[in-house]
Amino acid sequence: MSSTRKGLLLACWIAAVAVLGWVVDRSLVVGTDLRLFMPSPRTAQEKLLLEEIGEGPASRLLLLAISGPDPQAVAGTSIALAAALRRSPEFRWVANGQGDVESIPERLLAYRYLLSPTLDAARFDAPFLRLQFEDRLRDLSSPAAGILEPWLPRDPTLELLRLAESWQPARQPGLLFDVWFDAAGRQALLVAETRAAGFDPQGQRAAADALQQAFERARTAPDLTLEASGPGAFSVLMKERIQAEARQIGGLATVGMVLLLLVAYRSVPVLVLGALPLASAGLAGLAAVSAAFGTVHGITLAFGFTLIGVAQDYPMHLFSHQHRGVDPAENARALWPTLATGVASTCVAYLAFLFSGVRGLAQLSVFTVVGLAVAGLTTRYLLPPLVPARVHDAAESEWLGRLWDRIAALPRPLWLGVVVGVVCIGVLWLSPRPVWQDELGGLTPVPRHLIERDSALRHELGAPDVRYLLVIEGDDAQDVLARATALDARLAELVASGSLAAYDHAARYLPTREAQRRRQAALPDGPTLRQALQAALQSTPFRPGVFDPFLEDVERARHLPPLGPEDLVGTPLEARVGGLLLQRDGHWTGLVTLTGLSDPAALERLVAASSGVTMLDLKAASEGLVAHQRQRILWCLLASAVLLTFVVFAALRDGSRVRRVLAPMALTTLVVLGLLHACGVSLNLFHLIALVLAAGLGLDYALFFERAADDPAEQRRTLHAVLVCSLSTLMVFALLAISSLPVLRSIGTTVAAGVVGNFVLALLLTRPRRTTDRGD
Amino acid sequence: MLVAVATHAADLDTDTLLPRLARPAPDTTTFVEVRYSALLSEPLVASGSLEHRQDGALVRRVTAPYRETTTLIGENVLVEREGSKPRRFSLDRAPELRGMLASFGALIKGDRALLDRYFAMTASGSDGAWTIELVPRDPKLAHRLAKIRVDGEDDRARCFTMTEPDGDGSVMAVGVRDRTDLPASLERGTLQEWCADGNPR
Repeated sequence: MSSTRKGLLLACWIAAVAVLGWVVDRSLVVGTDLRLFMPSPRTAQEKLLLEEIGEGPASRLLLLAISGPDPQAVAGTSIALAAALRRSPEFRWVANGQGDVESIPERLLAYRYLLSPTLDAARFDAPFLRLQFEDRLRDLSSPAAGILEPWLPRDPTLELLRLAESWQPARQPGLLFDVWFDAAGRQALLVAETRAAGFDPQGQRAAADALQQAFERARTAPDLTLEASGPGAFSVLMKERIQAEARQIGGLATVGMVLLLLVAYRSVPVLVLGALPLASAGLAGLAAVSAAFGTVHGITLAFGFTLIGVAQDYPMHLFSHQHRGVDPAENARALWPTLATGVASTCVAYLAFLFSGVRGLAQLSVFTVVGLAVAGLTTRYLLPPLVPARVHDAAESEWLGRLWDRIAALPRPLWLGVVVGVVCIGVLWLSPRPVWQDELGGLTPVPRHLIERDSALRHELGAPDVRYLLVIEGDDAQDVLARATALDARLAELVASGSLAAYDHAARYLPTREAQRRRQAALPDGPTLRQALQAALQSTPFRPGVFDPFLEDVERARHLPPLGPEDLVGTPLEARVGGLLLQRDGHWTGLVTLTGLSDPAALERLVAASSGVTMLDLKAASEGLVAHQRQRILWCLLASAVLLTFVVFAALRDGSRVRRVLAPMALTTLVVLGLLHACGVSLNLFHLIALVLAAGLGLDYALFFERAADDPAEQRRTLHAVLVCSLSTLMVFALLAISSLPVLRSIGTTVAAGVVGNFVLALLLTRPRRTTDRGD
Repeated sequence: MLVAVATHAADLDTDTLLPRLARPAPDTTTFVEVRYSALLSEPLVASGSLEHRQDGALVRRVTAPYRETTTLIGENVLVEREGSKPRRFSLDRAPELRGMLASFGALIKGDRALLDRYFAMTASGSDGAWTIELVPRDPKLAHRLAKIRVDGEDDRARCFTMTEPDGDGSVMAVGVRDRTDLPASLERGTLQEWCADGNPR
């Protein structure tokens, strides 16, 4: 090919990659919902679990702590911050301990007699009112007089205060300067619910920014600090840490890769050409996922690029086998059967994930299959015309020759392979420790000290536990509220016996319509109440007519339509009730959140005795879900293995050759699994994906070693190719293995161990028999 | 100029008066408090004791006509009454209470800085019958409390009179045991005169 046409082809290729890159960059929507990597829920409980995990009130809760040397400044900042967050569109509600009598809108004030349980046990008759007035007289000469006096004419029974108190969390931190403080009195505590779901790092990032801005404006002293904890804060933190560290490692790996390729091929053009198939593969994969699914999950993106890292090896085989006197096109044609077998079998293996029922894995499958196919085809058809015919010939290397001779002299310890395999299976089979990690937390690992800090804050704030929930199913909102109310007596018993510290459900804020009507019916009519009031006020120093506003409010309350969930829009109760009373496809679900549950068995007995109520153990349910997910992935892996064997068999058509190609890969997988388990690592999704990658790499090594012909020069070239491939991969994943983040570390160690195992075992078990015979 | 100097000389100076009033903790004194409210046709009277504890807390104990204990520790107020749930709130929500605490507490502790933080002070009268007037500096406090007047003689305070902007208020006479120690009429003017009258009882 003439150099002009070469230049044109290169320019066209680079232009195509650039255009594809631009299109992908414009159209790509990166999703971050972790549930994409969960299997579709089978039961109503799992469905609820997934909703709870991603969007439930617990996942949206941010626990905030403001600290500083002067408690009064801290409290002032807490008040200003809460006010600012209440105005912010990023937050649904904020609580900092301030009594919110003032925040109840005027139209709900008269509802106090319908919402408060006072009338369930009492009547507004003369004796009751008399006792109330005596108490109010004492209030008036107590230090609280100034607070209560303005409300008394309208609310002599202090119903509003009782209501505001009952809406406070059942167990709340102590107050200092009117706001919640920790037990030591150093930190003001707040709880805020974000509008964005917990696992929506973009939404959470916006909330975190809004929070920081509000804090900067609200701070009353320069030496105050704000701390935020909770699933949302963690997802932002972890996303940023993973990105930062991945970027750092990516930078180091690129430098190392460039150096390695320069040393291996001593050519700058080769360096540039080597990057083109991989770039094309990545962009084509992204475009395919984007077209097929609309969005690409962040994890798909990260893993996808890890997985198609295999594609970096394809051009290297071409370069390493290139030498003087051979046309690059001819070279590519000669390598193609081996390369194509590797590409096809890996692609077929990944295809199995398309049917895993896990959307994230299906995305991953499309991404890698398209990416690897593009990388293989460009290496075969676009790259050869561009490869300089005169490159450094690996066969001329003296030391490679000596190395090959020494390798050839190595024994072929087939028995050792069998022993190692049996030992590894034994380790996995007989170990008492669980092989798998079933915690959902394993997918977004948060540093331990942050988790400890979170549970400390949760404890101080009396925030609900994240593990157990009661779930109430009902036909409509009223049905659910009635069932929740019916639980009250038994739950109160549990609280009294110390099995439970506190609980919360929607009916605590919004009684059933029936209960409201009952209380309404218990309110006396105008003349009756006036009479009772007069009798009660006799011989008290209250001025006549002082309580006329009370009479008016009661009269208004008698004719109000009872409140339903839809009437709460725009009130402080909306968010509280909304989080605990959910409507889904015409079906209503109520949640009972629990704080400080020490006796789950007692709760289970309570649930068994109630109808329409189930206990949801989020930990057990999520572990079940993860186990279910893993099972599907394992089935997929098995299917991939079968398909892969089939493809290799179809390509090689010889039982003993197939065995020699597949043995190192299978054995390496067993050895890595055994090693990880022996080192105390519990396996999760990331290990599995890393193992699949390692297996794909091993297959390529074995295929090329198996192909190595009788010609010593060709043998050296193959050794060179596999050495460059495995060294570059080992370098990248060894860098990941020393990462501080568990996710990156688990991928790094697994793949690095897999590369070493595959390389060594491919050398020992796959190299052509004839060479060995000659060496003997 | 001469007049000003003369007035100054005749008036009592808060700097000389305040140290005289300081009492070392623990210290307990009895009180009778009369509360006036627009809601009421006649004032409420409560009597009991005020204790200044070693740990800095102030305890207001009502013993008649009912029993109630209010404990002020730092910024927190705890009201415990026989037969009802304890009530907690902070001084920020009860500015008049902060006034009482600041004036009474600071006076018996001799804490000039605390007084200056919340009030502008003026003193008048003589050793035998003096008056200190405290006007809140903070608008939030002034919204709920117009002024505090402390009447006394020699080294002891006699009455703390709190006036709210709407005309409500209270008079707390200290060092007296019960209602019978006060004048027969609890009409505001009468009681104020009684407070201002420096005659030793």
